[in-house]
Amino acid sequence: MTMVEYFSFLPYGKYAFYVWLAYGVATLTVIFLFIGARRNHNNTLNSLKNKYSRGND
Amino acid sequence: MWKWIQRQASPKVFYQTCINLRPWFFWPFIGFLTVGLYWALVVSPADYQQGDGYRIIFIHVPSAILSMLIYAIMAIAGGIGLIWQIKMAEVVAKVSAPIGAAFTIIALASGAIWGKPMWGAWWVWDARLTSELILLFLYLAYMSLNSAFDNPRTAAKSSSILAIVGLVNLPIIHYSVKWWNTLHQGYSVGTGGLKDPDMLIALALMFVASIFLYTTLVAIKAKTEVLIREQNARWVKDEVQGVIL
Repeated sequence: MTMVEYFSFLPYGKYAFYVWLAYGVATLTVIFLFIGARRNHNNTLNSLKNKYSRGND
Repeated sequence: MWKWIQRQASPKVFYQTCINLRPWFFWPFIGFLTVGLYWALVVSPADYQQGDGYRIIFIHVPSAILSMLIYAIMAIAGGIGLIWQIKMAEVVAKVSAPIGAAFTIIALASGAIWGKPMWGAWWVWDARLTSELILLFLYLAYMSLNSAFDNPRTAAKSSSILAIVGLVNLPIIHYSVKWWNTLHQGYSVGTGGLKDPDMLIALALMFVASIFLYTTLVAIKAKTEVLIREQNARWVKDEVQGVIL
């Protein structure tokens, strides 16, 4: 059984696998962008805090 | 309005503007995305040739347009930084690059997934696909060049020149389906494009949602970048030490 047949119970039948895969990839990419931006911000705050607490700025 | 723009050249003002504008970008993004997805997946009818498989267009086309639009913004902001030495323009250019690269990846991935059922191949070396892949490489080159320097001003200068030279790729991507005989289909909007009003509305809604997504991410990422660049300023020290993690 191919992936296309396996997912054909979803809306859009024989195209379901492709349509939902495309929407899934896009959703994951956008979520990663938000998580990455947040992590980057927190890392920056942490390293700047460390730098200031060492008092050698 | 002009006065307001001029004041944004100050890092502290720009930082505050990013905080103030973020909800005005984020909530419209959620709103347009919700209505747009409903219009794209439920309201729009199936295509007479491609059945329901065409629905990938609603993420493919907006992300492809945004990948080019963000590149243009990045190059123009980089140019403004070069000509008028406005540091905040350099910040916008720098934080736009990973967002634009992500949109390019979405466009390429959704295009490959769309190509498989319609053409029988995930990838072909067609003019449209190849020039879009080159756009991804330009983004990656910009990002690696920008991170190769310790001094953010030097980094911005050299990478901005790269971005401006790379602008030549944008018309090539846009006109590739006209200039060459491509497997990629022609324009989606305008003559020969989508004709059903519901499909066009869905595409427009998803396009506006993508723009708000981009501006939201710029507002978030620019804040971080301003803190890094201005880390020796008094207000940044106060700002960072005021935050409880």
